[in-house]
Amino acid sequence: MSGDGTATSWIRTVSRHHLFWPVVALVALWIACGIVSPGFLDIKLVDGHLFGQLVDIARNSVTYMLLALGMCLVIATGGIDLSVGAVMAIALSVSLTYIDGAANGESVSTALTAIALGLAAAAVVGAFNGFLVAGLGIQPFIATMIILVAGRGIALAFTGGQITTTHSAPFKSIGSGFVLGIPTPLVIGGVVFTLVALLVRRTALGMLLESIGINRTASQMAGVRSRNITWLVYVLCGLLAGLAGLVYGAPTMAADANNIGQLMELNAIMAVVIGGTKLDGGKFSLAGTIVGALILTTLDRAVIIFHLPSESKDLFKAIVVIAICIAGSERLRGQLGLRRVPQVPGPPTSPNKPVEVAA
Amino acid sequence: MTAQTLSEKLPTTPPTAPRASDRWWHRLLDRRFLPVAGTVATLILLLVGGQLRYSTDDRSFISMRLFSNLFIDNSYLLVLAIGMTFVIISGGIDLSVGGVVALVGLVIAKLLENGAPLPFVLVVGVLVGTTMGALIGVMVQYFRIQPFIASLAGLFLARGLANLLGKTAIAIKDEGFASLASWKLKFGERPDIWYINLSMIIAFVVLLIAVYLLHYTRFGRTVYGLGSGDGGQAAGLMGLKPGATKMWVYVISGTCAGIGGLLFAFYTKSGYNLSGVGMELDAIASVVIGGAVLTGGAGFVLGTFAGVSVYGLILVICNREGLEIWWNRILIGAILLGFVLLQRVLVARRR
Amino acid sequence: MSQTSASAPVVEMRGITIEFPGVRALDGVDLTLRPGEVHALMGENGAGKSTMIKALTGVYQIDAGTIRVDGAEHRFHGTAQAQVAGISTVYQEVNLCANLSVAENVMLGHEVRVGPFINWPATRRKAREHLALLNLDIDPSSQLGSHSIAVQQLCSIARAMVVQAKVLILDEPTSSLDKAEVAELFTVIRSLRDQGVAILFVSHFLEQVYEISDRMTILRNGKFVGEHLTRELPRLELISQMLGRAGDELAAIEAGAQRVAREDDESRTPLMTALGLGRNGSIEPVDLELFAGEIVGFAGLLGSGRTELARLLYGADKSDSGTLSYAGEPIRSAAPLASLKSGVAYSTEDRKKEGIIADLTVRENIALAIQANRGAWRRIPAKELDEVVARYMTALNVQPPNPNMLIRNLSGGNQQKVLLARWLATSPKLMILDEPTRGIDIGAKAEIQRLVVELAAQGLSVVFISSELEEVLRLSHRLVVLRDRQKIDELANGPEVTSSTVLEIIAASTTEHEEGAA
Repeated sequence: MSGDGTATSWIRTVSRHHLFWPVVALVALWIACGIVSPGFLDIKLVDGHLFGQLVDIARNSVTYMLLALGMCLVIATGGIDLSVGAVMAIALSVSLTYIDGAANGESVSTALTAIALGLAAAAVVGAFNGFLVAGLGIQPFIATMIILVAGRGIALAFTGGQITTTHSAPFKSIGSGFVLGIPTPLVIGGVVFTLVALLVRRTALGMLLESIGINRTASQMAGVRSRNITWLVYVLCGLLAGLAGLVYGAPTMAADANNIGQLMELNAIMAVVIGGTKLDGGKFSLAGTIVGALILTTLDRAVIIFHLPSESKDLFKAIVVIAICIAGSERLRGQLGLRRVPQVPGPPTSPNKPVEVAA
Repeated sequence: MTAQTLSEKLPTTPPTAPRASDRWWHRLLDRRFLPVAGTVATLILLLVGGQLRYSTDDRSFISMRLFSNLFIDNSYLLVLAIGMTFVIISGGIDLSVGGVVALVGLVIAKLLENGAPLPFVLVVGVLVGTTMGALIGVMVQYFRIQPFIASLAGLFLARGLANLLGKTAIAIKDEGFASLASWKLKFGERPDIWYINLSMIIAFVVLLIAVYLLHYTRFGRTVYGLGSGDGGQAAGLMGLKPGATKMWVYVISGTCAGIGGLLFAFYTKSGYNLSGVGMELDAIASVVIGGAVLTGGAGFVLGTFAGVSVYGLILVICNREGLEIWWNRILIGAILLGFVLLQRVLVARRR
Repeated sequence: MSQTSASAPVVEMRGITIEFPGVRALDGVDLTLRPGEVHALMGENGAGKSTMIKALTGVYQIDAGTIRVDGAEHRFHGTAQAQVAGISTVYQEVNLCANLSVAENVMLGHEVRVGPFINWPATRRKAREHLALLNLDIDPSSQLGSHSIAVQQLCSIARAMVVQAKVLILDEPTSSLDKAEVAELFTVIRSLRDQGVAILFVSHFLEQVYEISDRMTILRNGKFVGEHLTRELPRLELISQMLGRAGDELAAIEAGAQRVAREDDESRTPLMTALGLGRNGSIEPVDLELFAGEIVGFAGLLGSGRTELARLLYGADKSDSGTLSYAGEPIRSAAPLASLKSGVAYSTEDRKKEGIIADLTVRENIALAIQANRGAWRRIPAKELDEVVARYMTALNVQPPNPNMLIRNLSGGNQQKVLLARWLATSPKLMILDEPTRGIDIGAKAEIQRLVVELAAQGLSVVFISSELEEVLRLSHRLVVLRDRQKIDELANGPEVTSSTVLEIIAASTTEHEEGAA
């Protein structure tokens, strides 16, 4: 990496790409797993359904993925959404409470209504966050922390403090079914990713999000409707978090409002950051976010494969996050590649992004 | 150019008469103090409301007993929130404290189970927190990782280590530890007996040290300088040491988390890997309710003290009302919303 | 002028060289500061002035050369060490902590202590004494951020005096001050000079440099060009030394931007009309008409309300009185996007904060306004955008001509050109240019001035705002004079109108004001 000849310059170019370290980490993890557990990389077709460790990982990563996609857009605007875990709980509680009270829980229409209600609740929470952030101009960290604190209480209020358990085959299938041999969650994840990618990259939304995240005032002066766009992004993030909650809770059909989505906001943010999107806002990478989600899920699985106590996965995550952050930190790159890193380019008064949580 | 002809009195130079702004009450109404004034007002409101609603003829709601219980139940939170105050004023955040509380509890329980001497165990417990804080500080300061992510990694690290130490709650049976945990001074007569226990004393000592550090030392001013919105550049140009200070802020928060973990172990007399989940949020919420601004640069240790009191009182009142447990969270969320809106109004007025 | 030039230098920098990756920022530069003298450091943007200051204050480590302070050689590692050696700096934008009190900012590091405690009352008292030396009577416990930039600047100087600086570096101290505040600042500087402090003064304003400095050192492209006594160096000679061009060439550039003949057609209908347009605490109600093909200059000092008026016209701020109509249609509630759609563009005063999107490419920065105009959903086809970008980058001579570079890596002048491209791409009918030439080098400045003239010739209505009165006079057909957040006069430009004419108008209204108050 520290080579100074032209021969190594392409390596430097590749290694500077924002996807480089995340992909290296993911591939390294998979290879390590493949060595320890030889069948790890196999994908089989059983009864017309795809099976295999990688399929499982992909399926499990969908929750992270849905959350992280929404989070990624929010982070691009220079914001953050701490409420997504709580929103998962709210959406699932609303859906399952509805099914529980419905006359025929097994009917498709009940399941669809339940899904619609759950997503609507999530969107309402997203809109509330958006109102605080875009409408009132409250810092995103604190604005969304309100739902993080109160959200599970609200979800518990829906379920009456119980763990609502119910039955509905159609509803359950969104978490555990197959479509054309592919696990349903994976299909949902794929469709959502495609839609979001189209939404931000085929329109100008992506560029405008980035411009808002980098310099909100200047964007406004250039006529960008920053309020509307910011608001939209929080609603979208809420909606995706609701969907994640439904997909996550569907296999068990139990709305455990206290525990569902616990720490998920942190996992989602981690997936985004591992994927190479800076927490300051601005440039974002949806592909990197997907890689980030896959890394987190692979870590969960790797713990089992390496016969480690299942509780050590947090430790694992911590080490990977620290490693990736440090590998990507300017300081380390500076020491490897450049003799001097002027930490303050320009006059000392240059508007360096203040190091703050979520402005 | 005719600059001299245009020269006039500096418009911002007021006449040299004693000005009202020097008076202490005007200083109190300074916008820096308004959020804290809001906290104190809320506190008084809760106390008066509680007094009117729960007092009986022979028993007043506001009593030493109330305050004693409040701080017996929340001394660990107070210590965590004090550490968090330093971090938040510096413009950072520390999400690791809940995990550190669990880790410290388990370290203490495990060490005592294996017969380590008590004083050694207590010191090691606190130092575990200090070490975690130093680790986060290095990540933030040396590797320039955002505090949010660095302390998030710290949270997972602490939880992961705690998980490795034990997956079940370990009761602490050590006699010395038990006697420390249950030691208390008794005051008053039945039925108004109230106590001061060791946790309260420790928490108040930490409070005093924090007031000294933050408000009466150059270090404290540097912490505010870090939070002034330019990442400490100005503080650095003023010849202060923003880099080292940023590092220390996390060490302080980690140490407070270590002490908090110790107090929590006193409180529960056990160590458990799942304790302290979401405790970082309680701490952050208390600090914000206490008038600190999350972007940094403003806040007071005593404000945090008031914030923790408000937090504790809400729990007491929920309990008195017999509300379902989830109302706690909803109410604290609502109060948080109220304070956030208040801060917003104050910022808007500034413009 | 001070006569102490014979005394021993307090700072001697010899052969200072600093290299950044790929760039030699300073190449063997010399600088000598003498006590009781104001020394100006001159050079274009990128000449190495800031780097030189940072070398002296220990922000950057030098790669070669020596720094002597009072004859002793020093190598500073950090500003703290430089301060100990008696070197203090007041930066362009005030570099104090706005969230701390005035006393804390002035005294930090030198607080009055009682044992391990800071004695706040005594510290505040001492701060007040130091502020009084600068004729500043403000409450030391008030928050620094609640004061004007000028006062903050003075607090910064007070701080330097607390640390008993032998050398005071003032880096663009006047860039955000109005005339009166500058005069006040200069009084302070002169009194410090007379006390024997060596002052290093950096400013873009030649007038001010000639007014205050005794001696100057000129840098160009990181190299030392010369040291002169200010009174012995004619302005044109200074400029040509800074630019490295012959004086005639410069005159040619200036001439190229000379204003065109004005039309005097009275029958025109205005493009934009403001009647009693005002905003509380920002600008008093103003009547104004803007015509196609005309350049209207807003003349006034900083803080006179010229930017505020521009913001109202564009809808960046909401007016609370009066009406605004555009092309005969009344505008109910002006907002940036609506203005943009109807053909009004506003290039903001603060390039960094309100102009560029630093981490986006030049291409994206140009696209931003047209894209905002189309809305988020209809992306400009890549081909169409490429054409637009190429057209304007060529027309405005943006250097380097690479649309995929991040705009943050461009020089100030080129950033400004990209911003102009952004607005021109929206095909505006009315273009409001707020300080388009501030802080950019003379070459780019002349190019932008020429562009303004061309735009008006093509039938655009242009509002031109600049701190440099000469520039406004040279370009404008009509002048709107503002003072104290009021429009005080409007006059057609002509050969008989000079900067002193305008200054007299402003000064006259000042005396009226004072008489009125008395």
